[in-house]
Order: sequence, then C-alpha cells, then structure tokens
Amino acid sequence: MKVSLKWLQTYFDAPLPSAHELADALTFHAFEIEEETDTMLDVKVLPNRSADCLSHRGIAKEISAILNLPLNHDPLREPVPEYAATVSPSILLHVQNERTCTRYSAALVQGVKVGPSPAWLKEALETVGQRSINNVVDATNYVMLDIGQPLHAFDAKKLGEKDGRRALGVRAAREGEEFTSLTGERYTLTPAVSLIVDGAHDVPLALAGIKGGKAAELTTETTDLIIESANFDGTTTRRSAQLLRLWTEASMRFQNRPSPELVGYGMRDVLALIQEVAGGEVVGLADTYPTKQPTIEPVVTSREHVNGRLGTEYTDQDIESVFTRLDLSFVRLSVSETQEGGLWAVTPPFERTDLTIPEDLVEEVGRIMGYDTLPPTELPPIVGKPDQNRYRGIERIKDQLVEQGFIEVSTQSFAKKGDITLANPLDVAFPALRASLEENLVAALAKAKYVAPLVLEPKQKPKLFEIGTVFPKEGEHVELRMTEQALDRGEFATDDVLRDEKLIAFGTDYAPKQYELGAFTPYSAYPFITRDVSCWVLGKTGAEKELEHVIRDNAGKLLIRLSQTDVYPAHAIEDSKISYTYRLVFQSYDRTLTDGEVNAIMEQIYTALRNEEYDIR
Amino acid sequence: MTAPGRLHPITIAIRETADIFGRMGFSIATGPELEDDWHNFTALNVPADHPARDMQDTFWTKETPPRVPRTHTSSVQIRYMEEQMKKGIEPPYRIIVPGKVFRNEATDATHEAQFYQLEGLVVGTDVTLAHLKGTIERFYREYFGERSRARFRPSFFGFTEPSVEIDAWFEPKGKEGKWLEMSGGGMVHPHVLENASVDSKKYQGFAFGGGIERLLMVKYGVPDVRLFHTGDIRFNYAFDKTAL
Repeated sequence: MKVSLKWLQTYFDAPLPSAHELADALTFHAFEIEEETDTMLDVKVLPNRSADCLSHRGIAKEISAILNLPLNHDPLREPVPEYAATVSPSILLHVQNERTCTRYSAALVQGVKVGPSPAWLKEALETVGQRSINNVVDATNYVMLDIGQPLHAFDAKKLGEKDGRRALGVRAAREGEEFTSLTGERYTLTPAVSLIVDGAHDVPLALAGIKGGKAAELTTETTDLIIESANFDGTTTRRSAQLLRLWTEASMRFQNRPSPELVGYGMRDVLALIQEVAGGEVVGLADTYPTKQPTIEPVVTSREHVNGRLGTEYTDQDIESVFTRLDLSFVRLSVSETQEGGLWAVTPPFERTDLTIPEDLVEEVGRIMGYDTLPPTELPPIVGKPDQNRYRGIERIKDQLVEQGFIEVSTQSFAKKGDITLANPLDVAFPALRASLEENLVAALAKAKYVAPLVLEPKQKPKLFEIGTVFPKEGEHVELRMTEQALDRGEFATDDVLRDEKLIAFGTDYAPKQYELGAFTPYSAYPFITRDVSCWVLGKTGAEKELEHVIRDNAGKLLIRLSQTDVYPAHAIEDSKISYTYRLVFQSYDRTLTDGEVNAIMEQIYTALRNEEYDIR
Repeated sequence: MTAPGRLHPITIAIRETADIFGRMGFSIATGPELEDDWHNFTALNVPADHPARDMQDTFWTKETPPRVPRTHTSSVQIRYMEEQMKKGIEPPYRIIVPGKVFRNEATDATHEAQFYQLEGLVVGTDVTLAHLKGTIERFYREYFGERSRARFRPSFFGFTEPSVEIDAWFEPKGKEGKWLEMSGGGMVHPHVLENASVDSKKYQGFAFGGGIERLLMVKYGVPDVRLFHTGDIRFNYAFDKTAL
C-alpha cells in the first residue's frame, strides 16, 4: 500500500516527522516498508491487517498509536447516515445470495459533469502511483485509498428501468457467460464468479468485487451515476480473482474481509467528494444489508497473560495506554473482592476484525510498547539429554564416506521423470519429484570429472555421494547413493535406503566432526585449459620449490592451480637428477581462453626455465 | 592412504547449528518433504482460501487430493507434537528441524525453488517471546560472533501470535556491522497447539524458522543462493576448511 505523506498529514494537526522517521516507526511497531521516498512510503500490509490498513486512515491510525499523536479527525468515528435497509423509489436492488454479497448499496446521482480532476486530487493519486482518469472515477479511488472501501461508478443512463426504477442485481455468472472489462479484456465465466447485472436486461455490468465492465462505462457525456458501495465475501472474491487471474485493488481488499459496516462510510464520503468535484445531486439511495455484522465480542485479557506471553513486566498503566492509543475500548474487570486491576474486557472498533483472541491483544501491547523492550532471556537447562541420534546416524555415514575420499553433493529434488509429478512445475523440463538420486549423481560425476583438475589433486579420483529424500510411488524415503562402492565394506558402504531404526542405532552417542569454513572464493564459469611440464633438477634441498617459483612467476594471473603430478625416480638420492612433473591449470574469470593464449604463456615459462638452466623434458 | 573427500557446506553449517542448539537442550526432529495440506497449512492455522496462503508460492502434486512439497519446516511442528501426544508425552518440547523446503517462485541470486530451513519449536508452561529473543541471540552470538545480537520487528504468520521478523546484527571481519533479515518467528498460535492435541490453556511456546543457505551467505560471503544445490563439487572446495 503506497501512502502519500501529504495525505497522511491531513490526519494530524502536529507536523509529522520525516519520511525516514515515519518509516522507522512503522517498521518497528507495525509494518515493513518496501520503499521510501520524500513524498511516499510503500507499506507492506500483511493479511491480518489488510481489512483496515490498506488505507491512509488505517496507516494514520497506526502512526497515531505508535507516536502517541492524536488524529485531528477520524472518518470512521464520525457519524454516518443510517443507510441500512433504505429503499428508494428510484433504485431497485436484488441480491441473489447474501453469503457472497453481504451488503449492497447504490446511490443515484444526477446532473454531474464528468471532467478532469482538480489538481489536489490528481496529485494525491499520482503520488501513490495511480493514474488520474476523470473526476468521478478519481473520487471513487480516492475514497478507497483513504478509508479502504472499494467503490464503483456506473453510467446510470446505460441501465434499463424496471417499474420506473434503475435496477441492479447481484448474481452468480452462468457457465460460459462472457464479460468484457473496462479495459477491454474478455473473460469467459463460471458460476464461481459473482456479477453485478443490469436488473432490467440481465446484462453483466461488473465482476463483483473485482472490476467494472464496458457496458455501463462512464464517458464525458455521462450526467447520471449509479454509485456502488458494497461488501463481497472474501472467499468468493479470492477464488474468482484466482480463476480469472485478475487481482485488483478491490479484490485485494475484499479477500481480506473488511467490515460490511465500512460500506456506509464509503458511500457517505464518495457522495460528498463527487458532489464537490463533479457537482450533481443525490436523488436516491438503496441499501440491502440483510445480516448486520455481529457486534464485536469483547476479548478478555489480563496483565498476567500479557506479561506471561511476552516475558515482560509491563504495568496496568502501560497496557491501558496501548489500548487507548489504538482506540480499543476497555472496561476493567475485578479479579476478586480484594484484588483490583490487571484484568480487562477489550472491545475493538468495528474495522479491527483481526482482534478476536487474547493473544491478538498480546501482540498489540508487544508491538506498540516495542519489541526492543523484551529482555533477551535464556531457556532454563533441560532435564536429561537432547535426542539427535537419527540425525547423527546420517552424519556418521557422511564422515565415514568422506574419510574414504567421497565428496558430498547436494542436487535438485525436481527431475525429468518420476512417479509423482507436479501440477505447476517451475521448469517444465523437470516436472517430477526424483524417485532416485541416481540420475543426478551420474550427472554430478560427469561434471566432477571435468572440473577435477580445478579442485582435486591430480591423483584424486572423483567419488561422490548424496544422502537425500526420494519420492518413489511406494512413499518417500531417505536414500544413500554413491558413484562407487566404498573400499571399507562396513555398514553403509553401498547404495541404501536409510531407515530410521538403523540410523538411530548408528548415530547414538556419535559426535559428528566439526569444521571451520573460510570465506567463499568465487569460481569461474569459463572453461579451463591444462598443460603439463616436466623438468630434470639436480636433487638438493629446496630445488623443487625454486622450480615452482619460476613457473609461478612466469605464468601470470591466469594460472589458477599448480600441482605436482609426478616425481621420478620416486626415491632419489642427493645430488642425482630427478624429474618433476607439474600440471598447470589456466582459467579466466571473464572469458574463454584460447589454446594460442595458453601456448604463449607456456613459451614464456619454458624460456624462463631454460634461462635458469633447467633441463625441460 | 586415500585423500579425504569433502562435506557439502550446508552439512557443515547444520552440524554447527545442531551443536549450538544441542547445548541449549534441543533435540532434532524430522518429517516428510512431501506433505499433506493439513500439516503444511491447515493445522498451522493457514486455512484454505485464506490470503495468508499467498505468502508462500506453493507447488502442488498431480494427485487426488494433491500434496505439497512442504513450503516450510513448520509442518514438522505439527508432526512432532502429534507424535509426542500420541505416545502420551506432554510438553516440555524443545526441537530444531533442519530440512529441505520448496517454493514456487522465480529464482534469482537470493531466491531458490528449493532450499534448507532451520525450524525451532519450544513448548512448555512458561515459555515466552523473551525466551525466543534470548535463544536466537545466543545462537547468533555463537554462529556469527560474540558481538551479534537479535532484533524483532512485528510481522504476521498464521501459525504464530504475536509474530515477528528476526534480524541479526552481523559484523564481518574488518567491515562495518549491519542488521540482516534472518528468520520469522513468534509465539505458537493456540490453534496450532490445539490442532496437534496440545492443551493451549496449559502450554505455550515459541517457534522460529529461517533459511540455512542465508546463514552461510552472510557468514562466508556467498553471493548467489543458486550455487548451493547444483551437484557441482567446486562449491565444496570454494571455502577453506579446517577440521576442529
């Protein structure tokens, strides 16, 4: 939710602190901030607060509670006309299913002039990344972004009449029914989707709670409006949006179940704003609200409960101050005849549909007081010994294999083929879950053989193993797979299914080896080239070190590995001639080397060796 | 004498982690990687058709009913508590769960479709959010260095109430320290305890979960999470290694 700082300021008499301070206040007491500019904050409102905080008013209320700054006005506490169950001689409403549409209200406004919005309205919308369309549409968007109620405007004259009244209906779409949205996309519908229809001709006007349609679109010719303020069921809206792959500002709000009480506030504010920016007169209003939102039940909590969950020592005064700042009304309950205080029945305001259990209030106290006030507390020691035996069984197998020269690899669980396939794979080439580690290990070995000169000693043969979960049709299990059998043919020396009982027995009282790692050194994505060089050297102490120096000093930066591969004769005597063979590996971090380039480097090395009077074989 | 091979760096990190938590009395629990809807979502207080399900992009299998390559190791919270209660073992519980998880999201340097998570769960009669802070802070101090600390920010997860994001203060050698987002956590939601047959009137606890690759990326400067699970042995050898 992008919020404009200028817009937020309209809620406060006192000047608000800087964007950065506001971002900090929200970050540590309410919501993550995804983006911050001098004029705007993009606030990440999570599902638990999307019913009330996808709005400037909601964010202003949070800032008010966090900074303990009073709001100068609160649209949700100002009187709202009693629209509920209003009937109108000019509008006829028919809602087919009150479960999918909990409340529907519509107003007829005549004599408006559709045109550009005033500068302040354009600026407000543009600051939060919305495009200005015209004064009427902008008014509906502004009120939605201000208090959170989605709204829609239809051209009233494009609707038919029934018994002399403009008629609107809410019904399920028919299988295969077609709909064209305001922006021209066509959708083929199913009964899972709810529609707003022209009650006289049964023509679809809008996807309920999601998006308006072409049929009753506003134009500059429009003079009469039907304004919709309604509440659509969260599950229906969510399923429809998923089905149509159409997520809108309206659907995002409805799927999080804002209070149907908000409908009245939205209607009140949008009618006032339309009259202000586009003129016109409200000639009728109808509201169908068959089952009023039940009164919010008080939630009972105690000081003991709050501190007992948080591990704090907040006082009654601390806790009551949080309730007051958040506009949660409370009554003090008496604990017993002799003990007063520390127990409350808290009634949240209608828009805070998220506060239903005592733990919800614990969170309100914790976050407003600030989690920096929690004292880090260590757990008491346990009785007995922790059980890590099964895990240690696996680690013992790994240690045993590493000791015998095996390298552990970790590969992807997605495979080309397998017994279980995914309905929505990320990569269509790997749609299954691996039924065995074999395929991956074969590929890893081929790769390991290729890269071996880069990381292994010349005589070290790449041998790999993996221990991982596989998913054959008889059910998942942990598999041990190796590229060859271990030399030490003890337990777990070959491919195996690792059952819990065996692992537990093998791991009991085993202490896995610990290693300390150093910093990560990136490796090149480009191919490498190897060359060998052999020299006769008079066998004396340090002779081979000198030889290595000459090679290194003349090889340049592209030499990334130098290993001795052979010494002949293996057991030389002092002052006799010995042949040393080295493998040189060349690689660049930014390009593919050519043979010519490496040959030139080798020539340099040969020349240097000859100058030092080494006898190159 | 054969030259020794090498462990995968994730294994080394999990060993260090298991050792630190072991000294704080944590056992290790495991559970299936392919989960049912109940253990991955519903029992964790993330009901069907709830917007909280959008917080994790999920793979589904082509089965009836479909199963899910678990999106988090939190499913093992339910599995573990169910099993204990079935055996008649009431809390205290103190476990960590290192394991592979799956997310159906576009991959980049910080996102992989499969990665490892470390889950923690502590249940008892008087376990508090301050205990979560103390536990995780001790872990960070032992893993990242004595000067590390933990910081909480408010968040939302269906399975915890209150819910927090956990940041670690990390000072790389010779560089300036910074706060890094590491984990999510909070007090186990009473519905979660009840769904695993644990009496939420009598017991309470905390849980946390975070990426293990992320720990390594921060501590050793690994630039790209996609390097971890390619089966390329160069990754094992890209770190200096000393046996302790």
